[in-house]
Amino acid sequence: MPGPVKLLEIRGLRTWFELEEGTARAVDGVDLDVREGEVLGLVGESGCGKSVTALSILNLIPAPPGRIVSGEILFRGRDLLKLSRPELRAVRGGDIAMVFQEPMTSLNPVFTVGWQIEEAIRFHQGVGDRRELAARGVRLMGKLGIPDPERRRGAYPHELSGGMRQRVMIAMALACSPALLIADEPTTALDATLQAEILELMLRAKAESGDAAILLITHDLAVVAETCGRVAVMYAGRIQELADADPLFREPLHPYTRGLLDSLPRPGTGKGTRLRAIPGTVPRSLSWPSGCRFQTRCPLAQDRCRRVEPELAEVRPGRRVRCHLVGPEGRA
Amino acid sequence: MVPDLLLEVQDLRVHFPVYGGLLSRRIGEVRAVDGISFRLRRGETFGLVGESGCGKTTVGKAVLNLVRPASGSVFFTPPGGEPVDLASLTRSGMRPLRAHIQMIFQDPYSSLNPRLSVSEIMSEPLRIHFPAMTPAERAERVAWLLGKVGLPPEAAAGCPHEFSGGQRQRIGIARALATRPSLIIADEPVSALDVSIQAQVLNLLQDLQEEFGLTTLFIAHDLSVVEHVCDRIAVMYLGSIVETGPAAEVFRAPLHPYTRALLSAIPRPSPGTPRRERILLTGEVPSALNQPSGCGFRTRCPIARPACAESRPALAERAPGHSAACPYST
Repeated sequence: MPGPVKLLEIRGLRTWFELEEGTARAVDGVDLDVREGEVLGLVGESGCGKSVTALSILNLIPAPPGRIVSGEILFRGRDLLKLSRPELRAVRGGDIAMVFQEPMTSLNPVFTVGWQIEEAIRFHQGVGDRRELAARGVRLMGKLGIPDPERRRGAYPHELSGGMRQRVMIAMALACSPALLIADEPTTALDATLQAEILELMLRAKAESGDAAILLITHDLAVVAETCGRVAVMYAGRIQELADADPLFREPLHPYTRGLLDSLPRPGTGKGTRLRAIPGTVPRSLSWPSGCRFQTRCPLAQDRCRRVEPELAEVRPGRRVRCHLVGPEGRA
Repeated sequence: MVPDLLLEVQDLRVHFPVYGGLLSRRIGEVRAVDGISFRLRRGETFGLVGESGCGKTTVGKAVLNLVRPASGSVFFTPPGGEPVDLASLTRSGMRPLRAHIQMIFQDPYSSLNPRLSVSEIMSEPLRIHFPAMTPAERAERVAWLLGKVGLPPEAAAGCPHEFSGGQRQRIGIARALATRPSLIIADEPVSALDVSIQAQVLNLLQDLQEEFGLTTLFIAHDLSVVEHVCDRIAVMYLGSIVETGPAAEVFRAPLHPYTRALLSAIPRPSPGTPRRERILLTGEVPSALNQPSGCGFRTRCPIARPACAESRPALAERAPGHSAACPYST
């Protein structure tokens, strides 16, 4: 049976930063595939390397101090890390688009939002007709729930609220029907009611505009549960668990994944119940722990865990876990 | 007043002037807090929830008299004393009471002075409020407090930048406890923290609340967290309380259309489980500078009627202790 079509393959990615105190190995050996049309969640806490992974895909790492030390990023079989600047520019915003957490810093303050959306279409698809450009821009803005798009087209970013700006960003990202949309904490800065609406609009707009695959980077497990088909859990620069969303949330196998889910307050538990927190703090990327990188906080850690780092092994079809204590029968 | 009442806020209003135009003249005012009332009983955790800009943080500041209310009163009962209206006090009149009311802030990075050591940060409130304490006594108290928040005594010598976000929040909590307050105002105390650390700090707050018999005004936007820590909550929208009641009740059977929409928007970390049908709100939160007439929520409300534009509905009790400001929701 042929497997799902791989759109993006990240192989052995290492992205390090040379700092005064030493080398921060932010991303330290990541393997990850994104399939055509899927929504893949990359979750983890701050400093785990999830955003650096995203930036590495489009070679947006500030260098120096950052450097992609090794690895391949194959997009439809082509290694993005080997592309020339003009080749890469054609990919960015065309085949692969990106949405960031803070739209104010990614929108150009001196152009109207309509112009910026239309610019993306003009640049990547060679549409020159002004009327057609405007019509397509307005249609996209409407799809993302921007009220009165004909009028909003002429607004500057500072005239819009945070929620409206994020909609503009997503409209811009989807303008060229990309094959892959990388969304880095796209709704984290927004209020709950807006977050729900924008995620829903993003998924609907994705389906209507060429079914882009989405790599959703977030710290919020609940958002992942509601939007993603597959999930990769990252910790200390590496993927620790990779699975379809349903089984992952139903039965997390890696002790870190389990710890994360146990940390969340559950509905209906109410006051007085204690949360099962993960003890300790996230290690620093300047000196990852020896052996398994979670062993310093893992309640199940054994001698072997302190010495040898486990592989990201396939323990069940489609499910990979980096833990000595998890075998095909489940957890030890 | 009810005997176990610690704080009673009555018809509190906070207005901020807005300047604009060529000569920066006063062109209007933002009614950030527009007539709210609530009570805190001793030992309870009262949650103030709402989205950004709803005025919840301003309420916290007004209770502490850090912003001056335009009108209304804030009665606080200090230990062994009579209720005092904090809103009527001057800065110097407020000072002796500050030891009893302490604040925990959202951002553990900006709320600790980076130039001071942890021991200096924590000694400062002790020096101000307990001038009779000797340096040795202060050092002892600092070490004891650090232990209470799960930090080693050596932490006293460190500076804030040497600690992680979660550890800094622990230091902020220890500082707040230094003066043995009876009321804690916690403004988004865990929203800047990672999930695994957030759980640690929530557990810590719960333990300390029991041990020290604290009463907490818990200000937050994260409804899952609020449900987990609060006894009673009030939901704010555009400077007003639209619903208030026991936390479990409000979460189980929300009455106000805004509360319902808010609760329906909480993402749940369990795919496939039945969840509330999502109520999507249309439109944007109106600016507090330019509030709609009548009910503040009517411009986004799925059940709004023409009458909603005429007068603002008052909070009406619908079940014991559970009130909502909407006459039309069923």
